[in-house]
Amino acid sequence: MHTADHILDGLNEAQKRTVTTTEGPLLVVAGPGTGKTLTIVRRIAHLVQQGVRPENILAMTFTNRAAREMQERAVSILGDTAVKIFIGTFHLLGLRILRDAGEEDFSIYDKDDQVELLKSLMKGSAKKAEQMAEQISRIKNFLDAADPEIQESYGAYQAALKQRNAHDFDDLIRLPIEMLENEDDAMAKYQERFQHIIVDEYQDINPAQYRLLKLLVGRSNNVCVVGDSDQAIYAFRGADLQNFLNFEQDFPGAARITLTENYRSTGVILSAADSVIKHNQKRIDKELTPVREKGAHLTVISVPDERTEGAAIIQEIEERMGGTSHYRMAQGSTGKGDPARSFGFSDFGVIYRTNAQAKALEEEFSASGIPYQVIGHKSSAQAKDTEETLIYLRSLISPNAATVTAAVYTDEAKLLGPADFFDPRANAVTLMTLHMAKGLEFPVVFITGCEDGLLPCRIMKHEVDLEEERRLYYVGMTRAKDELLLLHSRRRFLYGRKLSPAPSPFLAEIPGALIKCMVVPAKVKKQKEIDRQLGLF
Amino acid sequence: MRFIADLHVHSHYSRATSKDMCPEGIWKWAQLKGVTVIGTGDFTHPQWLKELDEKLEPQGNGLFSLKKEFQTNDVPGPCKADVSFILSAEISCIYSKNGKTRKIHSIILAPDLASAARINIALTKIGNLKADGRPILGLDAKELLKITLAEAPDSLFIPAHAWTPHFSVFGAASGFDSLEECFEELTPHIYAIETGLSSDPLMNWRLSALDRITLVSNSDAHSAPKIGREANILDTEISYPSIVNAVKTRKGFVGTIEFFPEEGKYHFDGHRDCGVSLAPKETIHYDYLCPVCNRKVTVGVMHRVDKLADREEGVKPEGAPGFQSIIPLPEIISEALKVGPSSKKVNAAYFSLLEKLGNEFKILLDIPLDDIERAGTPLIREAISRMRKGNVHIAPGYDGEYGKVRIFEEVERKEIKGQLKLL
Repeated sequence: MHTADHILDGLNEAQKRTVTTTEGPLLVVAGPGTGKTLTIVRRIAHLVQQGVRPENILAMTFTNRAAREMQERAVSILGDTAVKIFIGTFHLLGLRILRDAGEEDFSIYDKDDQVELLKSLMKGSAKKAEQMAEQISRIKNFLDAADPEIQESYGAYQAALKQRNAHDFDDLIRLPIEMLENEDDAMAKYQERFQHIIVDEYQDINPAQYRLLKLLVGRSNNVCVVGDSDQAIYAFRGADLQNFLNFEQDFPGAARITLTENYRSTGVILSAADSVIKHNQKRIDKELTPVREKGAHLTVISVPDERTEGAAIIQEIEERMGGTSHYRMAQGSTGKGDPARSFGFSDFGVIYRTNAQAKALEEEFSASGIPYQVIGHKSSAQAKDTEETLIYLRSLISPNAATVTAAVYTDEAKLLGPADFFDPRANAVTLMTLHMAKGLEFPVVFITGCEDGLLPCRIMKHEVDLEEERRLYYVGMTRAKDELLLLHSRRRFLYGRKLSPAPSPFLAEIPGALIKCMVVPAKVKKQKEIDRQLGLF
Repeated sequence: MRFIADLHVHSHYSRATSKDMCPEGIWKWAQLKGVTVIGTGDFTHPQWLKELDEKLEPQGNGLFSLKKEFQTNDVPGPCKADVSFILSAEISCIYSKNGKTRKIHSIILAPDLASAARINIALTKIGNLKADGRPILGLDAKELLKITLAEAPDSLFIPAHAWTPHFSVFGAASGFDSLEECFEELTPHIYAIETGLSSDPLMNWRLSALDRITLVSNSDAHSAPKIGREANILDTEISYPSIVNAVKTRKGFVGTIEFFPEEGKYHFDGHRDCGVSLAPKETIHYDYLCPVCNRKVTVGVMHRVDKLADREEGVKPEGAPGFQSIIPLPEIISEALKVGPSSKKVNAAYFSLLEKLGNEFKILLDIPLDDIERAGTPLIREAISRMRKGNVHIAPGYDGEYGKVRIFEEVERKEIKGQLKLL
């Protein structure tokens, strides 16, 4: 166990104050790369050190990934006693509350199950069912009543869930709220239990989660919320930045601490990100101070189309790694690597605005042989292909094995995302949306599709929330530790349309002095010609 | 039984690999070359594994035969022989360790399809096995060894072309200084390394750290005519367990057939783009910078061996098998006829020799010179005689450029031809 001194070791002044300000409401404004998780974990350790029982602490994260990281770090400081602390998402908490109340044998419907159920109820298309699922989700997240026009579908859906003894994800928040509001004993029990509450990513909290939090914060009033108004990116899911901005009114007497020292990114990257986000109005202003050196320029790469976008990224990766095969080296498309730096594939993150952009990138990566993983969504064609291969391989091991299909998931495992199924030993380039990138960092980050229409995204909605789009861009930029490369395509095939987009207006918000530009010309040699010239090894 | 084995080739599913690297083509060329046991290559590739499963049949000893219906009729009579396939794959591990980017190629031999399948299932979760017959994984080579041992305990793991600069365990650009640095506590599971074209046992014997290691040699062929350009001579029963046991214990491992290391693509240091070839001493003199473009030169195998060696050349460790150096027959014919090695003339002469004398290894290693002269020409006889004695000139290869073999001076060629006329 660490001594009190050790718990504050290596922390800066603001971080120390965050750790030691344990009584009353506290708003921690934590910009990207300011050591937020470290500080929260130290705060938990400090509480335990001060004599708070681990089971009286509740730490809520936005993702399972964040919860796992926090749990691991807490265990490394506090030892096994840390597993008694509740560290998890709002959904996991809700699930536990329902289970504690004796609701044992229900099943959980994830997005796919929901859509499947709605499809059968509405006898309509998958797309219609998806839209309905989204509408229902909004109603539950906002704790609204259903609009008259979807009243019927909503009712049928709820009845069908009940009949199947199932809850959807949103019910895992909604039902505990109902329970706590109606049962004073239950509320008292949880308020008694959770003496100290910490909420991470508070800017992304939605009205239902906010209500649940309010119910849990008892007379102790020890609630510490951590967040960054500039990283609020879940409005489309019902998150309300206003909760964050209003915290000091909602919890009178709240203290505020701002973490400003950024340990992640170079000065140039931070300065560029700051220039962009300053254009937003709805924010708590803060100035990030780089701890690191100034670093290299940002690189803006203009490419002819979405295929060459992937190829350009692969080439940049090859150059940094000094070539991944003799074949590529013989093509002359690689440098010799930088002997002063050492790269693995997981040092590279490729980020895009919409899942629709993933396909072209994935095809390029798939053909290149460079190991990559897509987090957030499964490409169904790839998943099917892999599944077929696995079935064949299993048949070689034992002829009966072919019939063994998908693993049985536990409910809690179902709450985990697909990224959790990758082998942790695998080192791969990560492809993800801006939304999935939050909380991650990479030495080298590529943001693709820096085009008007994608950033800001004008494809799905009629009305663009420009500030939210800018925050997304800011989140993407601040994932980069050493190098940030921004790609824009002069032509793009997207959603069945050929577009000739202008560069993203956000690019223009970055001072020109911080940028180095590259243009990839339209005419490139076809792969076949290169193969022919190369000959055989 | 004494036989020749080539354990490392690639299928047509690998990058820059010829279409003739299919089961039928490998089977045919193994016979032309005199290779009895040949690697399948690329068992990690799902489609290739399927093709192997379809076209090969197990012999019941861990090796496979090409099914009768796929055997072709175009093998010259004296070359016809049984060919056994052994499941093999090569994997490229690219990762960062101890502050350096590492790129290590490894060969895996598997005892049966089920073992290969188990390894493949484990690797499917780690990387993309479909893009290339030799897949790239972002995996520590030690982890790959661990997975291999866990999934297929009877498999054999061999660091490939151990000295080449860019993709090997000792490579100058992205390798390690010792097997221990790479494989740590799993190092005892490494029984052999592949010496690669640019090094031979003489060079490897300079490292006492390799005294317990079996030095194996394979072709790493990307097209069928390159099968067997390096290979192993074994004297055991023809079965998977016997072959693996021979590699592990050197009992029954007679030795290797080697390139002259100078002919390999990375023997010397240098810069291919600038046409600069440097001996290790010259490289040091130029401070590792190319005298033409002033960028870092590619440090080759000889230099690297020099650096890691702890004794001079000339020591043969106890129990170390011997080796024989060869030049591929088409190159010898090309030297004798003074035409390009892939010319029609060379091709015709090559097959004519095979028709008359038998497979290439027999011609290069065993057949009496008089018989060769009778079947070919005095120049070919003389060239093979010189090769057998090691009496050849080779301008060393560097930075991906093969070495240039020269067996005859122009005057000599005329002299030998002249003698022929007098006869």
